[in-house]
Amino acid sequence: MNPQPSFLPSRRLALQTASSGFGYLAFSALASLSAQKSAWASAAPSPLAPKTPHFAPKAKRVIFLAMQGGPSHVDTFDYKPQLSKDTGKSARGFAKLLGSPFSFSPQGESGLMISELFPHLSGHADDLCLVNSMHTDLPNHPQATTQMHTGNFQFVRPSLGAWTLYGLGTQNDSLPGFVTLAPPNGAQNYGSAFLPAVYQGTPIGRASRNRFVATQEQTSIKNIKNPQLSKDLQRVQLDFVKSLNQEKLKRDEYHPEVEGIIESYELAFRMQDELPDVLNISDEPDSIKDLYGINDNTTGSFARQCLSARRLAEAGVRFIQLNHGNWDHHRNLKAGLEQNCAQIDQPIAALLEDLKQRDMLKDTLVIWAGEFGRTPHGQNGNGRDHSNKGYSLWMAGGGVQGGLRFGSTDEHGYQAIEDKVHIHDWHATILHLLGLNHENLTFPYAGRDFRLTDVHGSVVKGILS
Amino acid sequence: MTQTTDMKIRSIPFLLLASFFPSSLFCVAQEMSSSQLTSEQEKFFENKIRPALVKHCYKCHAEEGDKVKGGLLLDTRDASRSGGDSGPAVVPFDLRESLLYVAITYEDSSLEMPPKYKLEDEVIADFRKWIEMGAPDPRERIHPEGTPQEYTNTIDIEEGREHWAYQPPQSPVVPAAAEKDIPLSSIDAFLSKKRAEKGLTANEAADGYTLLRRLTFDLTGLPPTSEEIAQFVPAYEAHPESAIAEAVSRLLASPGFGERWGRRWLDVARYAESTGKEINATYPHAWRYRDYVIDAFQSDKPFDEFLMEQIAGDLLPSETPEELIENTVATGFLAIGVKGLNEQNARQFRFDLVDEQIDVTTRAFLGTTAACARCHDHKSDPIPMSDYYAMAGIFLSSETLFGTAEALQNRKATELISLPAPAEAGASSKSLAEMIDLEYQRDLVRERLADINTQIREARAEGNTDQAQRLRLQTLGLNNRAGLLDREIASFSDDGKAHPLAMGMADRPAPFDSQILIRGEEDNPTEERAPRGFLQVIPTPDQESIGPDESGRLQMAEWMASPENPLTARVFVNRVWSWMFGEGIVSSVDNFGPTGDQPSHPELLDYLALRFIELDWSVKDVVREIASSQAYRMSSDYNAAHFEKDPENRFLWRMSKRRLDAESIRDATLAVSGQLDTERPHASLVAELGDGFVGRNVSESQINTENRRRSVYLPIVRGLVPESLSLFDFADPNLIAGKREITTVPSQALYLMNSDFVIENAEAMAKHLFQDLDLRGSALIEEAFRRCYSRSPSPEEASKTRAYVERFIATASDSGMEAQQARALALTTFCQSLICSAEFRYLN
Repeated sequence: MNPQPSFLPSRRLALQTASSGFGYLAFSALASLSAQKSAWASAAPSPLAPKTPHFAPKAKRVIFLAMQGGPSHVDTFDYKPQLSKDTGKSARGFAKLLGSPFSFSPQGESGLMISELFPHLSGHADDLCLVNSMHTDLPNHPQATTQMHTGNFQFVRPSLGAWTLYGLGTQNDSLPGFVTLAPPNGAQNYGSAFLPAVYQGTPIGRASRNRFVATQEQTSIKNIKNPQLSKDLQRVQLDFVKSLNQEKLKRDEYHPEVEGIIESYELAFRMQDELPDVLNISDEPDSIKDLYGINDNTTGSFARQCLSARRLAEAGVRFIQLNHGNWDHHRNLKAGLEQNCAQIDQPIAALLEDLKQRDMLKDTLVIWAGEFGRTPHGQNGNGRDHSNKGYSLWMAGGGVQGGLRFGSTDEHGYQAIEDKVHIHDWHATILHLLGLNHENLTFPYAGRDFRLTDVHGSVVKGILS
Repeated sequence: MTQTTDMKIRSIPFLLLASFFPSSLFCVAQEMSSSQLTSEQEKFFENKIRPALVKHCYKCHAEEGDKVKGGLLLDTRDASRSGGDSGPAVVPFDLRESLLYVAITYEDSSLEMPPKYKLEDEVIADFRKWIEMGAPDPRERIHPEGTPQEYTNTIDIEEGREHWAYQPPQSPVVPAAAEKDIPLSSIDAFLSKKRAEKGLTANEAADGYTLLRRLTFDLTGLPPTSEEIAQFVPAYEAHPESAIAEAVSRLLASPGFGERWGRRWLDVARYAESTGKEINATYPHAWRYRDYVIDAFQSDKPFDEFLMEQIAGDLLPSETPEELIENTVATGFLAIGVKGLNEQNARQFRFDLVDEQIDVTTRAFLGTTAACARCHDHKSDPIPMSDYYAMAGIFLSSETLFGTAEALQNRKATELISLPAPAEAGASSKSLAEMIDLEYQRDLVRERLADINTQIREARAEGNTDQAQRLRLQTLGLNNRAGLLDREIASFSDDGKAHPLAMGMADRPAPFDSQILIRGEEDNPTEERAPRGFLQVIPTPDQESIGPDESGRLQMAEWMASPENPLTARVFVNRVWSWMFGEGIVSSVDNFGPTGDQPSHPELLDYLALRFIELDWSVKDVVREIASSQAYRMSSDYNAAHFEKDPENRFLWRMSKRRLDAESIRDATLAVSGQLDTERPHASLVAELGDGFVGRNVSESQINTENRRRSVYLPIVRGLVPESLSLFDFADPNLIAGKREITTVPSQALYLMNSDFVIENAEAMAKHLFQDLDLRGSALIEEAFRRCYSRSPSPEEASKTRAYVERFIATASDSGMEAQQARALALTTFCQSLICSAEFRYLN
């Protein structure tokens, strides 16, 4: 890390003597007012430049597969034979228990019990770390979703991705560092709140109500193409803009923000080419497209997200979130789950496979999670209600033990009883895997230092590889 | 209080139930412990309520019953108050929030209890009476953690008062001029003394071009016109003092001042036209508060009055209807905040609402973060929890009327305030045919609902639960539709005229003190109540006590607006300073507490605060005084030696270079292209769209339509701030933001390079210069630079421009573009390049 404060004029001199454009100091001087105030951030030359983590990281990037609606854990990743036996019985004063209509069987060498809903993903059992003892504060979608993303549902707080980018910066100066594909409503879930705006997620595509599609048209970002100028003509124009800006820089003698503007045009110009390219999956070989299931009606939409995620990861994006909806199975659990799982199973398995064959799984943290789980007792005959007291998620790749089942719920899957993991613990663990100490990753706001985990959270050591 | 009594809070019959209730929002009313029950109340409970509960409810909702359903127990007072899976069963004084009552009335087919039969009307009436009398309940409360906890104040208030900001401002001795042979204002004398201490000297005055650009943007958010430049520059060179005085007077009087400075206050007031959060319901009447703020700055309303009106305007006397309207609309300040409408727990919702009001009030006016004391005492702040709950009592004793449409996910809708003439409606009138159609639709929906409800009952009676469930699902959408139609119909008179409605505050008929909540948890109250009051650390000598029949909002407003309050004037003049210099004397503009920053010039801050009071809290006079100082006119030139000593320019050896804010960038783009429409639009786009929910019946494309009005009039919907603003660090309206971030990100560059808005304005500018003004060659270049940079181009810039045009045309022809088109595009892209460039968005 450069011990020299970023405002010393030597950088200006460097700029003036540099002959080959302005890409050499990517993102320098994009510092915002608050970032400069933060001891943590002011040590780094720019808010988005790669930063040294607190300690050696196991994962360099995150791919977060967010399942909105609350996937049922007892039908997917939390095997509950006793629940099947007790089907029809009453327990805890609730409606009658409902055993899973799906069978579970041991998978891989580890023998992890995974539901028949995931035939493809089961092939990666030995990569998965199932956390069966998750719990969150409230069984309501909006609050739980917000808490999953920001740690706090009461106030507007920065999202996990924004904290990650704040802590680590980004590796590719031609792309945004935090991308969320087809996000549902709620910019808060990828927002930066009081963190500088550079850390917020760049949404690509947008979910229409309950549809989380990412078609080719929708995986586009705004203003990425000039409607009337060819690339050559725009280059001519930007050279002129650059000369105007250099003129100003010369007059101002020292003005890091103007340097920042000059660089932002260069990055934007590059992004115009690179981002659509990264998101353009048409040049992928057919074998890859088939692996993900791009051309299948069922898997196509999420396959496109997964393949885009791999391409973004490969291109150096730090935090990539994918979104899939309709997991709120108050009724028609069986048909609903069959449909949802069929949509995501093959694409996710392909993503893990693809990352592995590129030797990227070892330092990519892949997370699959919903905002909560569902009750072991039935609802409306063939559905399940929300349950926040115990549910499951899984992680794979960078720094987590594959083939591990961590924690457990009671015999019916109602609440976590062993090695309970709260959202704050989970957040602390994700930051830990990225080489960040959740207690030290702070930002001063409204008179105190804030962190993702507030005053809570401890790293779940038991799942670390 | 001449007219105040005429002011009726109109009960909008948007929900059938609502019309039954004397006051649907009787908040966290006093919880009576059993010892406080009158014998009559106890008798009523024992004779009417307990037997009914035992007979009809305990089977499924008691510890000793067969089974506990829906997580709900009704066998203790506490359990029935905290409720089950669906929410609290009994909320004292509040029938609508009491799910037990909703259930037994069979009004809502999704919640009918007891499930197999409806209670007799007399029994239902007994429950209604019981809840309306506050649900007196002698059954012992069972505290979540055994015995109720007690609150002990751990803060030493006396010691806390020693913090500089809680000490009254001292009239400082103006130091003798320490540098230069020029007449120094008091402001300059303080700055000069500090600079001398630090071994710094002030930059020379900036040239006339730079200064007029600075003044015009700072005061009006717009660039100076070529004519204004031509007039000012020679006058300034001849007689700087009088030229500045004239320009400042002209700018202060122009409508742009109110729009510019009003918008700055709107940042602090976290102004927006929707609730935000998950449900994000629109506030179609919020624009009235926006216009009120703009007008207040424009008319130079004394700041103490401005404060009083926003906190307690409804409690102030009004001489005229206009004044009444103003006073009412001003309290919108407290109503426009973020709200989580889908919060199931009614008490939690109210405490969150109050928390938001305490936060905005104390931070906006006092630069104090009292909301931290919601959960526990903070060692660093001399604000004990008891102070927080003292203020909470004031807001709990007030009613917040924010409107919104009733829906499945919004049981929190409130009434709005009906404004008297001459207030005008926000939305356009509807034709009689439209009104008839609306009512027809509503009746259809209602009939359909009634129909389905009958079918549900029949299906249940036949034991066909699947069918009943299917039918119930149909009612959900219909209920929402009915809620929106009810709200819409209620917003218009029968002949289709929109009612002039406002958001705002009212006192409740029976004020009360708040309990202190352990850890801020609504279900964890202590037995102790905090008497309604303010922050003890800031006493004012003439503080009036709060009467038993008053919420205390008026007294709180008086306490804040008092010249004896050490914070109010300091905090506001510091905001003014930061808006004119880019940094406050206290950098943490919203936090003057012990965790905030120290003032760089404490004496200057005190001088300005006292001067502000002396000037009768006139914002324009303070702005004038600062704008006339030598400090304000300094150049922003770089000086290596000074930079070494003071890189952040805390001691003002130069004027800081500042980036324009989002609104100024957008407005300037419209101004230089000759397209800016400076008329104030009537109301707001959101008023026209009416009540609704973002993402459901209000879409992003409806909201984000570009127009040519000033940016302050763009719709500000939480989560959907227009791109032209959000890209350039517009204040997040979810937060109280006295200070904006400055970021430089590639999406800004992409927007300036490629967006329709910028390209269209560049085209308009080119057309205006070339066609309308008939300019060519050097004259055209000169005028373009003057508009965009408020100065003439250097010879080098002029020649670079010519070279650019040639190179562009050559490149275009190489690629086969027609010569005529290439020339036009060259001119357009030249104009666009100026807009894209750094100087366009920077002040020197």
